[in-house]
Amino acid sequence: MRIKINNRISNNEADSLIEKYYEGLTTGDEERELKAFLSRRDLPDKYKPEQAILGYFDRKAPKKHVSLLPYIRWASVAAVVVLGLFSIQRFTADNKANYAFIDGHKVSNMHTIKSQALASLVDVSSSTNEVEEGFKSLNENESIEQQLDVFSSTEK
Amino acid sequence: MLLVGFVAVPGLKAQNDLQISKVFDQYGERKGVVMVELTDEMLDGYDFSLFKSITIKNNPTAADFIRKCLQKDQAGAKKVKQVVANGVPTSIYLQLPRKGQLYRLILFNEMLNAERKITLIYIESKNDSEDVLKLILKKK
Repeated sequence: MRIKINNRISNNEADSLIEKYYEGLTTGDEERELKAFLSRRDLPDKYKPEQAILGYFDRKAPKKHVSLLPYIRWASVAAVVVLGLFSIQRFTADNKANYAFIDGHKVSNMHTIKSQALASLVDVSSSTNEVEEGFKSLNENESIEQQLDVFSSTEK
Repeated sequence: MLLVGFVAVPGLKAQNDLQISKVFDQYGERKGVVMVELTDEMLDGYDFSLFKSITIKNNPTAADFIRKCLQKDQAGAKKVKQVVANGVPTSIYLQLPRKGQLYRLILFNEMLNAERKITLIYIESKNDSEDVLKLILKKK
């Protein structure tokens, strides 16, 4: 016979229900009775484990669970967008290279582009001698400057 | 991701610090003009990381504009060759300061015939400028 005072179960009854609970044999009503028992503040320490398990140990306001998932989702979307924009820019930059404009019309035929490039090289070409003379002169000028530097440093 | 994007893209336009980039921008897509851009050794037999050329026919304004740009760009550069006719430079080869690992050259020529064809070329190469020019002349 179960003795209930003020609809509350006794400690002994609670012990039986706890044993039954761990064996998975409690009914819904029995679990409700057990939870009501464990929610009491005047319980001995021996019931603390059960109170913790059933979530009644701490009666403070439930902690706000901060989920990072929305932020991770938005960060992923942003990363994909940035990567996409970067790829498009890189792709269009690469596409813009290796081209020619002839009379304002864009040409992408590689043979034509290369022909035009080679033609322009012929237009600017002077004789090999002139270029060699030019570099020779540059190198000589550098030597002269280095020699003059020696004198300017000794004058100080 | 953003940092990668901002770092990687500028490397594609090493010549934008030069005044001659304005020549390509302003005249490149006009009638009577041929503009070419080739990258990454696309021009067979030449090791050019970047080749950009523009040819303009019979446009004295463009010629003067190019000469003014070259006057600014030659600061810090070495003049390999210059030909002057009637007090006006008609042919200039400039060896520009290196940009990282790349050697840079500007070649300019104005023909003094009836056509008055102007050619401006900008080259970036991993090879030394002298070797590049000799190669160009060898293949002429």
